[in-house]
Formats: sequence, C-alpha cells, structure tokens
Amino acid sequence: MVVKIVQIILSPILALVVGVFFLGLARKIIARIHWRHGPPLIQPLIDIIRLFYQKSVSHGRMFDLGIIFSLAGSIVLVLFLPLGRWCPLSSSGGLLVILYIMLIAPLGVALSAGEGANPNISIGISRKFILSLGYEVPLLLVLLAVMTHYKTISIMEVVSVQQSTSWSIISFPLFLSGLSYFLILPAILGIRPFDVSSAPQEISSGPMAEYGGKYLALATIEHAFVLFISIALFVNLFLGGAANPVIFFVKMLVVFVLGLCINAVFPRFRIEQAIKYLWKWPTLLAFVGLIITLAIRS
Amino acid sequence: MSLVALLIIAFGGALLTYILGKLSSRIRDSFAVIISLVLLAIIACFYGRSVEKTFYSGFFGLGLVLRLNMLSWFFAIAISALGALSVIFSLSYMKDREHTDFYYLTLLLVNAAMLGIVLAGDLVSFYIFWEVMSWSTFLLISYNRGPALAAGMKYIIMSIIGSLAMLIGMLSLYTTYGTLSISGISAVIASASSGYILFILIIFSIAFGIKNAVMPLHTWLPDSYAEAPSPFTAVLSGMLTRMGIYGFVLIMYVIVGAVSTLNLGPGILKFNYILAWLGAITIVIPTFIAMLQNDAKKLLAWHGIGQGGYMILGIAFGTSLGLAGGIFHTLNHAIYIVLLFMSVGAVQYRTNGERDLNSLGGLIKKMPIAFIGGLLGISGLIGVPLTNGFVSKWLIYKTLIVEGYPFLTFAALIGTWGTILSVYKFLHNMFLGQLPEKYKDVEKSPLSMQLPMIVLSLAILLFGILPGIPLKVINAIGISFGFESLNVTIWGIASETGTLNTINIFSAVLVAGFIVWILFRLGAKSVPVSQQDSYAAGAHTPADKYHYTAEFYNPLYRMIKPFLRDVIDEFYYWIAASVQRLCGGIRHVYTGDVGYYVTYIILFLAILIFVQLKWKPW
Repeated sequence: MVVKIVQIILSPILALVVGVFFLGLARKIIARIHWRHGPPLIQPLIDIIRLFYQKSVSHGRMFDLGIIFSLAGSIVLVLFLPLGRWCPLSSSGGLLVILYIMLIAPLGVALSAGEGANPNISIGISRKFILSLGYEVPLLLVLLAVMTHYKTISIMEVVSVQQSTSWSIISFPLFLSGLSYFLILPAILGIRPFDVSSAPQEISSGPMAEYGGKYLALATIEHAFVLFISIALFVNLFLGGAANPVIFFVKMLVVFVLGLCINAVFPRFRIEQAIKYLWKWPTLLAFVGLIITLAIRS
Repeated sequence: MSLVALLIIAFGGALLTYILGKLSSRIRDSFAVIISLVLLAIIACFYGRSVEKTFYSGFFGLGLVLRLNMLSWFFAIAISALGALSVIFSLSYMKDREHTDFYYLTLLLVNAAMLGIVLAGDLVSFYIFWEVMSWSTFLLISYNRGPALAAGMKYIIMSIIGSLAMLIGMLSLYTTYGTLSISGISAVIASASSGYILFILIIFSIAFGIKNAVMPLHTWLPDSYAEAPSPFTAVLSGMLTRMGIYGFVLIMYVIVGAVSTLNLGPGILKFNYILAWLGAITIVIPTFIAMLQNDAKKLLAWHGIGQGGYMILGIAFGTSLGLAGGIFHTLNHAIYIVLLFMSVGAVQYRTNGERDLNSLGGLIKKMPIAFIGGLLGISGLIGVPLTNGFVSKWLIYKTLIVEGYPFLTFAALIGTWGTILSVYKFLHNMFLGQLPEKYKDVEKSPLSMQLPMIVLSLAILLFGILPGIPLKVINAIGISFGFESLNVTIWGIASETGTLNTINIFSAVLVAGFIVWILFRLGAKSVPVSQQDSYAAGAHTPADKYHYTAEFYNPLYRMIKPFLRDVIDEFYYWIAASVQRLCGGIRHVYTGDVGYYVTYIILFLAILIFVQLKWKPW
C-alpha cells in the first residue's frame, strides 16, 4: 500500500522532470542542427518558473477551468501508464481508458482557448482537431493490432508478455504496427513537420495566442506531459517496457532523439498535406499489420 | 396498482390535459406536469415486479396481454423520466405559441403509447400502441408547418412501410402458431426451421430498423429531428427512436431467443454478424456527415443516427458484455441527447429560434446553465471518462476486442474521434468564441428550462462515476435472456481480461485537478479582459466584423465532402419521383371520366369476341 502511494506521487513528478528535460533537449538539438549554440538545457524550467510570476489576462471561467482540466487529465494519464514495473492504476480499465483519457488534454485546451475569441485560436484548434483525426486513424489500427495480438486490453499484460518473450517491434506482424506508430509520432507530438496547429510565425501559436503568465506555464507543463505520454506509450507497447524506470527513460530518450533528428529538417506541412501523408503510408502499414495479426490469430 | 390502471392514467391524462387546456392554460400546464410525475412515481414503485395479465380477451379470439419484467421496467422508467423532464422543459418553450393544447395532448399521447409498447405482452397490443405512437409523432413533427410538413410526410411514409413489414410478420406468426402472445410464441418458435426464423427476424428488423434509423433506413431522421419543436425532438431522439432498440431486443432475445438468434447462418454470414456490420456502418458514415452540418439540430440528429449504431452493434454482437453495453448505451444516449436538444432549445428560445451555428457564439457568459448542459452532453456523447457514455462504449469495445473483431472496433472507435470534431464545433460555435453584438442583452434561460438540464447533467455524472446502479438492472435483463451474469460492482465491471474501475479514475481526476488548481491559484493573478481585447499581432480586430466560427473545418470539408453525399436519401427520392411519374402515366388512362371507362369495357369485350371468333378457345 505504502509502495503504491509512493509510486502514485512519484510517477507524475518523474514524468514532469523527463518531459521538461525533453523540451530543453529538443531546443538544443534543433539549434545544433541549425548550427546555432541554443539555450541551456534547463531553459524551459526557467521559463515556467518565470511565467508563474508574470501577469496574465483571463477571458472567463472556461478559460481558467479548461487549462486546469486539461493538465489534470494528463497527470491522471501518467498513472495509467506502466513506468518500468510501476503502474499505480493498472487495473482500472486498461488501454481503452488510456485512449479516452488522452482526449481530455486537447479537449480541455480547446475549450479554454475557445473562450478567447481570437481568430488565430479558432484556426489553431480547427487544425489541431483535423490533425488528430488524421493520426487517430493509424493510431487506432496500431493499438487494435496490439490488443488483438495479445488478446487483452490491459497494457500491463502487454508489457509483461513482451518481457517474457520478445519485444513487439521485432516480432513478425507487429513490427509493421510499430513502424506505423513511429511514423505518426511527430504528428502526435505536434513537432516538425506537423506543427500546423501551433505554428508561431503563421497563426501566433494558435490555441496559445491568448495565453500568458501562468496559463502559458500550465500549457508548457501540459506539453511536457504529452511528450512524455506519447513516447512512453510507444516504449510500453513496442519496446517491451522496462524492468525499472531508469531503463525506461533511456529507451524513451533514444526514441525521442531519433524521431526529432529525422523530422527536424523537414519544412512544415500544410494541414491537407499532413492528412494525406497520415492517411497514406502509416495507415496502410497499420492496416496490413492488423490484417496479418488477425489472420495469424484465427 | 395494475398495469391497466397505469395505461388508463397515461392515456386519460393526455385527453384530460387537452380538455383542461380549453379552461385555462395554467391549469393545463400544472396538470400535464403532475400527470407525468405521477406516472414516473408509479413506475418507480413497480421495480422488481414481474406480472403477466390478460386484460381483454375478446379481440377476435386473441387475448390482449400486458406484462411487466426487468426489460420493460427499464425502458418504462426511462420513458417516464425523460417524458416528465421534457414536459417541464416545454412549459416555457411552448408559452405564447399556437395550438398548445394540441401540443400537450400529442406529447403525452406519445409518452403513453411508448409505455404501452414496452408493457405490451402480445403483438396485437404492441402493434396498436406502435401505431398510436407513430401517428402522434407525425402530428408533432409537422407541428411547425412549412418545411416541417415535408419532414413529417417523409417520416410517416417510412413509418408505414415499417408497420406493414411488422404486420406481415405478425400475420405469418399467427397463421403458423395460432397465437400472438409473446410468451406463447417464444415457447414454441425454437422448433421452427432456421429459414422461417430468419424470415421473421428480417421482417421485424425492417420495422425496427426504420424506427431506429439503421443505415440504409435512416433518411427520415435528420429532417424530422431538425423540424420538430425542441422539447419534442428531445423525446423523439431520447426514447421514441430507441423503441427500435427495444423492438430488436424483443424479437431477438425474448421472442426468438438468444440461442436461435446467434446461430443463424453460416460463418461470417450470420444474421447477427451482418446486423453488427450494419451497426458499424451506421456509426461511421453519419458521424462524418455530422461534421459538415451547420444546423445545430441537424448536427445532433446525425449523431442520433450514429449513436444508434453503437446500440445495434452491442445488441447484435450478442455476448453478455455486448448486450449490456448496447442496452446501457440506449439509456445513456437518451440522457445526453435529451440534454443536448434542451440546450439547443434554450438557446433557440432566447435567440428567436436561431439554430444556425455560424451566426451564434459567445453565449457562455449569458446562459451558463445551458452551456454546462451542452458541455456535459457532448462529453457524454464523446464518451469522456467519468461521463455515462464512456462506460457503455467501454463495454462494447471490450467485448469486440476480446472476441477478436478489431475492424468492428475500429469502426466504433473512429466514430468517437469523428464525434469530437463536430461536437466541439457545436459547443464552440454556440457558446464560446465571439458574442455577436445583437445577442448582447440575451437573458439566462428560465427556471423551468434550467431544472431539467441540471437533473440530466447530474445523471450523466452519476452514471459515469457509479455505473453499477443501472448495470445491476441491465445485468438482470441479460440473465433473464440466458446470458451469463456479469461481475458488476457499483463502480464498474471486474473480469480477467481487463477491469473497469471508475472510482479510481474519479479520485485520480479529483486529486490531480485539485493540485493543478492550487498551482493555478499560487501563480500571479490574471486580469479579466473583454472579448475585443485580444492579441492580433499588432493588427486591429474590428468588433462584430468577423465570425471566427464559420467554416470551422474548411480544409477537411474540401477533402471529405465529395465522399459524403447522402446517396441513399437521393435514391429514395428517385423512387418516389419514379412512382409519381408512373402514377402520372396511369392517370392518362384512368381519367375519372365515365365515358373513357365505358370505352375501355367495350374495347375489352370487342377483343374477347374477336379472340373467340378467331381461335375459339372457350
């Protein structure tokens, strides 16, 4: 019981630390690719603390509550993901619940920003939702392939079976699904070339346009969590999770740096191009993967 | 109290309301509310009772039977509760309109007829109540005249086709078994050939499929939902359309029985498997069509069709989890869709009937309760965890995944993700964004509208956090059909292949929300600003010039619009036009002039005489 409570308290804190570290790392790596020096690694942390002390504007109740709700959703989600062998809330509904809690964060931001009544926000939200419909198609196919293959909806079981046999990413039908997930990962994270909804030069960072001070701080923390969650899900489903959190974070780091380096050099897609890309190769891979999985099972 | 007395109160109350309306509208209003609350109370007291009683045996030698069991109680309590709420909502919505007496009469009549349907113990009374319901619905759909007349016509034509199919099925059952009582047929039908059972299932599926708007029989629904008065649209979408689901459950699991229904046909061509695929199609296509809608009620109407697909999917799949999910989703859907239509109705009431999403906006500051209703309604519709829609969808997904049908699951899941896009647009365009100048002085909704919305909002959260309350009843229904019992606890379902525990999710969200809220309070204070005071990169944003919500998903429209024509509707219109042309042609022959008919007779006789003279056949 005590161990469990400690895990419940520690997991979101660890997730936050790792997420913020990734944010800093991303800026550093992109700067180096651009032949710049880049800000120090802890710059995002400095920014967050500074933002909490700065003045901000509020457009109403929903503007405040939406962002709170969104961040709370992300924190809860971390509790459902196994970090190594830790999984405080593993027995509360499995992958299906994870899938649905993943909705809360974007929905909360959209509701909060929606009250801002700013054209840039509207464009940003609309793009965000279209993009998410774009990557959900392959993502759902991928998750269904995993669930069908292991005949369970419990993510804990997916991890433990992988640890006793081999990682999904190197087992036969599932490597197609794994590849598909890796291809859509930048879209889920909203990084290059899929940063359509938060395009700073184009629509003033979209949903973030009216955020300042603590709102922006919470939104940054939220972004750090999303970064953590999407990659952690990949590590759990395809890289066999890990025996302890340290190895888990090393795996996450590898996936993140790989994804970043491949995608940092691309220019931004237009939203139509993004959808066309997402519904072509990743979907095809995920679809074939699911069919083969189903054929093998029956 | 007996079931007959209950129905007498229901129908008599409807008529009496009409008569009282001639005296005074205040008395009529309070009487209508009282009668619906009395019905609710009586049915609530019936919980757990099981009755079957012939109340009239002289109907051409057939006994008319009323019966009460867990299934009919479950539907009856939902009908009477939602009926009462919509009557309360009507009080201010229908004020100062014409023909209000007539409105209340038909509204109460529809509720009474629905109660009759679920309490009917034989197919004759079932059919009679079904027809009363269909015709009163027709009157209510065309209540507003104008385009509503066409919508009502479309509804009643499809409804009659369904009724005729049902009548054929009933006649066939009667000639085969000599009885029409539900328990009588279900006792003997198991020995029938599988071909005959298939025939019965298909012919009744046409009737119930039309009522539940299963694709390709859905086309009456969008227009009817959009044109009917909003409080009645709530009843129509919440329970009336779902009488189709009751019908499916009745014919599949009560009359024919689970064993016969689930083993009908070879391999993947099984009856229930095909029905499940129809359900999946019904989920996906309407959800995407809903994205293209700019009319608030039409948008919800398309979701009404789509959500019906989930229920069909769960029921057709025929596992104890799937059946529980399907029936539970019927209840959940009723709660949130009624709430959503009430929210639209409240907005319409204050904005002179405006339901065009492109010309509303920013109403959150003026109508907070309607906004909360809308927010919880769309959360339930999406199935956000801790709302009721999540639990029933979880049950359906889980059974599909564990049984190994990922493509059906995919259809159901992608339906959910499509839903988010359109319902966000729905909420955003009405309540968030910029408040137009002309709605600056809109007042909040009257109390009689707020009350039902608050009750339904609470119900969404209650069934989302403690789903065990309704699931206990639903589990009993499943057991009565011969399915294995589910391991239901008050906060979810336990099983080996994945458990659901909503109380864990709830406490986690509560604590996390509290921590973030503390963090938020600790930060520097924020200054409230007006909606005009927004960041535009140095440019001036003129007030009321732009509407930031119009064409919300334009890039997506351009991509998917060509694929989403309602071909089926066009096909039906083509049939209607062809029949009209054909009849027009026939009218040249049947002119109505006696002289022509005499000529036809003489010509016919002449031909006969000619034939006889020439070939001598007779």
